[in-house]
Amino acid sequence: MKRKGLRFYAKIYFKILAQDLKSKMSYRADFIISTIGMIFTNFAGFISFWVLFRNFPSINGWGYYEMLFLYGFSLISLTPVQCLFDNNWNLRQHVYTGDFIKYCFRPINTFFYYQSEIFDIKGLGQLAFGLITLIYSWVKIGLGFTPLMLLKVILLLISASLIMIALQNAAAATCFWIQNSFYVLDLVFRLKDYAKYPITIFNPIFRFIFTIFVPIAFIAYYPSLAILRPNEASILSWLSPVISLFFFMLSYKIWMCGAIRYSGTGS
Amino acid sequence: MKLKKYLTLTRAGIMETFQFRLSFIVMIIGNLLYLIVMYFVWSAIYASSNNDIINGMAFTDTLIYLVLATAQFNLMEMYIVWEIGNNIRSGRIVLDLLKPIEYRKYIFWLFSGGVVSHFLMTFLPTFIAVAIATHGAISMGINLLYYLLSVVMAISINYSIEFIVGTICLYTESIWGINIMKQVIVLLLSGATIPIAFFPEPLKAIINYLPFQSIYNAPLSLLLDGTPAAETVLSTLGTQLIWCIIMMVISKVFWKVSLRQITVNGG
Repeated sequence: MKRKGLRFYAKIYFKILAQDLKSKMSYRADFIISTIGMIFTNFAGFISFWVLFRNFPSINGWGYYEMLFLYGFSLISLTPVQCLFDNNWNLRQHVYTGDFIKYCFRPINTFFYYQSEIFDIKGLGQLAFGLITLIYSWVKIGLGFTPLMLLKVILLLISASLIMIALQNAAAATCFWIQNSFYVLDLVFRLKDYAKYPITIFNPIFRFIFTIFVPIAFIAYYPSLAILRPNEASILSWLSPVISLFFFMLSYKIWMCGAIRYSGTGS
Repeated sequence: MKLKKYLTLTRAGIMETFQFRLSFIVMIIGNLLYLIVMYFVWSAIYASSNNDIINGMAFTDTLIYLVLATAQFNLMEMYIVWEIGNNIRSGRIVLDLLKPIEYRKYIFWLFSGGVVSHFLMTFLPTFIAVAIATHGAISMGINLLYYLLSVVMAISINYSIEFIVGTICLYTESIWGINIMKQVIVLLLSGATIPIAFFPEPLKAIINYLPFQSIYNAPLSLLLDGTPAAETVLSTLGTQLIWCIIMMVISKVFWKVSLRQITVNGG
């Protein structure tokens, strides 16, 4: 079979996307409530952040605006996983009920087809929230602005989001082996809340774990370091695009390995 | 025997949890990891401050408070909203309504088994672990009894709130959005993410008039207070009891009124 090109996949993606949006629009109340719920989540996150910093002016040498930068950065880099890869949350049900087999019979990439089925618009609220936070802290710290810096921050944001996507793919894919992957997914989902803290607060063992095994340090800390404190940034910060690409490919392989292994339920 | 029929449901619930042993183990490990992360974050936060005691809470107090809040969350979160919402969507709710038992009671006892097994498998070990790790910062006296009593009422209030929110699903057909809103509001305003003592005064005053602080803040402050004044105990438990009754009445009446609304497609 001929390998299909990028254009082919882009065309298909938008076709599936349009279908998904149409079906979402038929549940308008659900859509509006979910969007409000998402705004609530971000707002509550910000309130906890603010309450915390009212009592403690700095954490481990990181001031209010620097922490706000990390926070905004993590919010933006968590958006793509929310918008584009939300179907991972349903994977365990598809696998459990046997519905998953339908994705295996399409003449296109299974992973691509599965993930493109759902586009979660409400994640865009988070993007807006994150952008405002990031720009506000950027101005307050006085980082200045050059086109090169913009390019750098975009590249770093993309690589940071790839890390979270990789984590979620791998967590969701565990259901091919252990049936109920909810707790694995939930754990990753909860741990990502700690991505907004500098990795230096952990002891060496956990620093190692959060860099190599559950690389949440790449969601905000390492990439932000390259912008906030370029002098302190280690090689890991500059390498984060390569590292995230590696983790993404790894998670893709794990996911596909599970999908190929999948034998259906017989129904 | 009325109680016997309820306890049968509880037993079924316990057996169900142990059926999914692997996911249970994953959950316990995940929880442990989460608690360790929490420890590092808060010790870094306290280390950055000049004072040892902030808002009347030392580091060990805050740690115990937040760790047990997480344990309590795992104990109480029964995903009732999802259960009711999914039953409404699929139409299965009709079968449950036909059962010779009040729906509100049925769901509660159905999930009570999960509460029992979580109490034994996660709550108790967490409690013992944190008591040992903080070298007896939890005073082992009459406050334990108050705490237990308070948690029981907290479970009841939490259940009523979940049931009310679940009932809203009858109108909205939205589960995710409604549930996330409830979760965010309850966790923030109950002091589960950040102790109420850290909040600014005006916010504290508002929170005191809401039922949410009875779920996490009330039991935990009773526990942390080694030598409680009779007055504080009475007012805290009394407030909880009042909220217990109010929320129960609201959830019952709301359910009764809403049941007329129900539309089930086929089923």
